[in-house]
Amino acid sequence: MSSKLLARTILVGVITAVISTGCHHGNGAAGGNNPQGGTGAESSVPGIGNGTGSENGISPRPVLGANGLPEQGQFPAVLFDYDSARIRPSEESKLEAVAAYMKANPGKLVIEGHCDERGTAEYNRALGERRAIAARDELVKLGVDSSRMSTISYGKDRPVDPGHDEAAWAKNRRCEFVVVTQ
Amino acid sequence: MFIRGAICVALPCLGTFGVDAQVDVVKGRHSFGVSGFTGDAAIAGQVTDVLKNDLRLSGYFSLAPVSSAEYVQSGSVRGDRNGIVVECVVMQQATKRVALSKAYQGSAQDVRRVVHKLSDEIVQALTGQRGIAETKIAFVWSHNGGKELAVMDYDGYNARQLTYDRSISVRPRWSPDGRKIVYTSYKNVFPDVLEVDLYTGQRRRLAAYPGLNTGAVFSPDGLSIALTLSKDGNPELYTMNAEGTDLRRLTHTRSAESSPTWAPDGQTIAYVSDESGVPQIWQINKDGGSPLRLTVSPSYNTEPDWSRPPGNSDMTPMLAVTSRVAGKFQIGLYQKGSAGVVTPVVADGMDNEDPSWAPDGRHLVFAKTVHWRSQLYLLDVVTGEQVQLQAVEGGASEPAWGP
Repeated sequence: MSSKLLARTILVGVITAVISTGCHHGNGAAGGNNPQGGTGAESSVPGIGNGTGSENGISPRPVLGANGLPEQGQFPAVLFDYDSARIRPSEESKLEAVAAYMKANPGKLVIEGHCDERGTAEYNRALGERRAIAARDELVKLGVDSSRMSTISYGKDRPVDPGHDEAAWAKNRRCEFVVVTQ
Repeated sequence: MFIRGAICVALPCLGTFGVDAQVDVVKGRHSFGVSGFTGDAAIAGQVTDVLKNDLRLSGYFSLAPVSSAEYVQSGSVRGDRNGIVVECVVMQQATKRVALSKAYQGSAQDVRRVVHKLSDEIVQALTGQRGIAETKIAFVWSHNGGKELAVMDYDGYNARQLTYDRSISVRPRWSPDGRKIVYTSYKNVFPDVLEVDLYTGQRRRLAAYPGLNTGAVFSPDGLSIALTLSKDGNPELYTMNAEGTDLRRLTHTRSAESSPTWAPDGQTIAYVSDESGVPQIWQINKDGGSPLRLTVSPSYNTEPDWSRPPGNSDMTPMLAVTSRVAGKFQIGLYQKGSAGVVTPVVADGMDNEDPSWAPDGRHLVFAKTVHWRSQLYLLDVVTGEQVQLQAVEGGASEPAWGP
């Protein structure tokens, strides 16, 4: 547990830094311009140039997965129909629980949108984003400030179930929720 | 010269490239006899193998015995540690006309590149068409649970890893000059559009708005980039200049717009929208306006890629797409005037996705998934022949054929 928790803590820190340093990814932070556009080389990128890539740190993924949720906010995934971003009535209560938590606690919410493998890659990135946005919009209706939420679409790149049948696909068409404390 | 060794390390898993030695004569192809090269046997053997494979993949030739071939090649190689020289003569047997007589020089490590150049010059001399043997293909390498970008020669050789982020790097697209690749990176947690300069290895962030930043693709003149952003509510199409500034929104819908591809003239952009309830290909002017629906059937069409055949080509511009039919993905072609119908070209019951055109407007690279693992294939849309590139350990997907 300890190494996993350590990785998780580090990565929560990474995400918190991304969100709290005024990065334009914080919801609503960017207007019509792009603060980093055209600023030249990103000199700090490791990997390219040395070819090792082994000291690049930890992948940001573990904190964002089903098993990487922070202790204080473990929410069940909201599930979707095939090729749909509509919130099913049966999933409303899950969003109500997320909203109740967010209204009673500090922190920011990262909403991940995911798809099953039965769509093409880029189309699924757009579909996963629509799912995350649908969940975010519902949470706004339930009283959560939109400035506390951001979305990530993983398309079909991060299935929670690696299977190739309807049971797996049904679990993979989902939104996950990660609370990031400041 | 294309990608400096200093910024790349070879993938450990890539080796030979297997093609069955077919010598079938297809109508419209020139029969070509390769008699080989005199000189150092090891070098001569490699040069001969690469040349045969290039001529076969070009689609313009069927390899035939020297005695009966329309064109016959002869030549020699000289080489040592410092470099190689390949001399080649191609003659039309019936007329005794010399179609090509040239010498090529390169470093000893560059044998394949030297032969690719020779092959393209043979294609040019005998058909007047542009060859593809010197081109590159970028792709997504599934590795250690993540996705990294890699670049290889068009024939599957010399694969080199381009990113080492241990994250998700996907959807590469080339600049028209072949110097840069734009792609979608999750390196900073959220999906951003990054650009990597293949000469210097430098990377920069071109779009990192709230939500989704993906699908970036250069205009034919290299001055603009079309992409998908969700910062204004849902995934919509935008354009910006190649520096990532001067952002303009093109679409205004309640559905998702994705996967833009520029028409050859750079005036319109084709893309995917599910505005009709199912994903189909639409088109919009590069400055915005009213979208026009292009495809109607099959009921699921995504991943459009416009071909850009050279001016003197026999090929006409076409959209390659991924269609979904009976639960399987297949590659199809759409042409203007086809009443919205996409014609399948790879429909073999497996999942075939992500078509990307070669600069000759005749060949496609695509990803075929067999037993849940994706590998890259080439398709000659004139002959219909498919060739699998050397399998990549872990899998390869989302290929992008370079200029």
